[in-house]
Amino acid sequence: MKFSQLSGGRLGAGALVWAYGLLLAIPIYFLVVSSLKGNLDIFNDPFGLPKEWLFENYSEAWERAVLGKALVNSAFVSIAAEIITLALVIPASYGLARSRSRLSLLIERIFALGFLIPAFATLVPVLLLSIQLGLFQRREFLTMFMVASTLSLSVILLTQFMRTIPAELEESAMIDGLNRFRIMWHIYLPLSLPGVSMIVILNFLAYWNEFLFSLVLVGSNADNRTVQVALPTLIDQTKTEFGPLLAATVITLIPVYILYIVLNRRLENALTAGAVKG
Amino acid sequence: MSSVKFRLKANSQKAGPVGSTKGLSLFSLPALGWFVFFTIGPLVAMFYISTLNWRSIIGQSEPAGFSNYEKLFGSDVFYAALQTTAIQLGIMIPVMIPLAFMVGYYLTLKPRGHRVLRVILFTPGLISISATAMVFYAALGPQGLVNGLLEAIGLDDLTKPWLASADTALAMVIIVGLWQGIGYSGVLFAARLESVNKDLFEAAKLDGASEWRIMWRIAFPITVDFVGTLTMLQFLWTLFGSAGLILLLTRGGPGQTTTTLSLLIYQKAFFENDLGYSQAAGVVLFVIGLAGMILIRRLIRARD
Repeated sequence: MKFSQLSGGRLGAGALVWAYGLLLAIPIYFLVVSSLKGNLDIFNDPFGLPKEWLFENYSEAWERAVLGKALVNSAFVSIAAEIITLALVIPASYGLARSRSRLSLLIERIFALGFLIPAFATLVPVLLLSIQLGLFQRREFLTMFMVASTLSLSVILLTQFMRTIPAELEESAMIDGLNRFRIMWHIYLPLSLPGVSMIVILNFLAYWNEFLFSLVLVGSNADNRTVQVALPTLIDQTKTEFGPLLAATVITLIPVYILYIVLNRRLENALTAGAVKG
Repeated sequence: MSSVKFRLKANSQKAGPVGSTKGLSLFSLPALGWFVFFTIGPLVAMFYISTLNWRSIIGQSEPAGFSNYEKLFGSDVFYAALQTTAIQLGIMIPVMIPLAFMVGYYLTLKPRGHRVLRVILFTPGLISISATAMVFYAALGPQGLVNGLLEAIGLDDLTKPWLASADTALAMVIIVGLWQGIGYSGVLFAARLESVNKDLFEAAKLDGASEWRIMWRIAFPITVDFVGTLTMLQFLWTLFGSAGLILLLTRGGPGQTTTTLSLLIYQKAFFENDLGYSQAAGVVLFVIGLAGMILIRRLIRARD
């Protein structure tokens, strides 16, 4: 970097941005060190390393919040929702990317506007729907709803992606006698795998991190609840043990961070594409 | 929304393959059906439920005309929640968007350590609402990080239960919202700015323009559409999405100080079992969301 580029304004901006970065990092540092401390140590020395490394906070959190079951439930909901979403989105995007009919245009428009419908607005009616269907407090209904909540963005993104695949490929395949389903499966799906992986990543974050609908639709019964619902149950109105609470928080973050470490650039691209293109 | 317009144009310009595309729209019907059943249907139901007297989720309902709306517009809690929401939005959006834009612009300059910075800024985008709430519940509690810090530097007088004091609880909710929002939006701005042709910036630099000037006079106008889109999204996320975070941080208290409109909808439905009232408030929230979106679009258009 040339010295002349280091104008005062830029240095000032840099200092501000890094200060903000620090503000973001401090709570995360606090989270990790405190998860290994007792209440007294957290309060007396919030920044210091633990005086005694209380690894048992993790086992205590695991048992008290029944995290094993909760992790299985979250995994069930996330994986099932991913599978259903792909089964719906891949054909829909293929159809919308290639069709020129008015109906397709209308459907695409519905999804584009539907992206702007905030899920929260439908919280109470969706709960009533689950009761009506006899699926209240069932993971299955939560799964079905979560699919719907990510459907419009997924369709929009994958349709855009599939439009970049040359139409000539499809034409020559049709001349070879392949039907639409085989074209979709053997030509479009393999060629749009980067797009598919993008929506899988984006949706995993949405499914794994969802809180409010999980709380309302499934509730906090230890057998069915997801990790995000299990976590706040460690708060005690009279005296919270912060060590185990924060240990449980770390546990819920581990799957997401593993994903981030493995997919780093891809995950960033998926998250930005989700908002930039949606 | 600009990207919506763009997509529809793309669709009509770039026609599908020569030959028949008949039947292709059928491929999207299952997804459409699913979406209508779980999203559009419940949205319509909200309007209907707002005209019912429904006092228990498992109980019976009866038609109530507009009485829920009369009750709503005649109740102090509603106006208090409206005011809280206005304060929350009025501070968060004007603070978040310009700061996030500056963060985004700074990232595109690729300063030393920008990769690390990007990872840090991304973090709030990865963490769930409940994890965020737990961290701040601990950090802002009577025995938390902030008070511990204040004691360490001898400012014992300033310590307080930040989330449980009427004069600071709302500020804390707003700060946590900003903590989550600025970095993530900044990375999004950076992604958008990276797709801009940098020649313009270089030319302006050669003419002796400062970074500050380039940022606001060149980069900002070029991406103003995206600024509008992100402002709209942050507006919607804040307006509708604050219920979960506030429920965990303060439950709307102390008193009613942090009860936003979206939390009021939750409280009325699940704490007080008044579904009709709750959904009448939901309709009002929906109308505010729509009006806000139109307003933001107008403001952006007027700038062009």
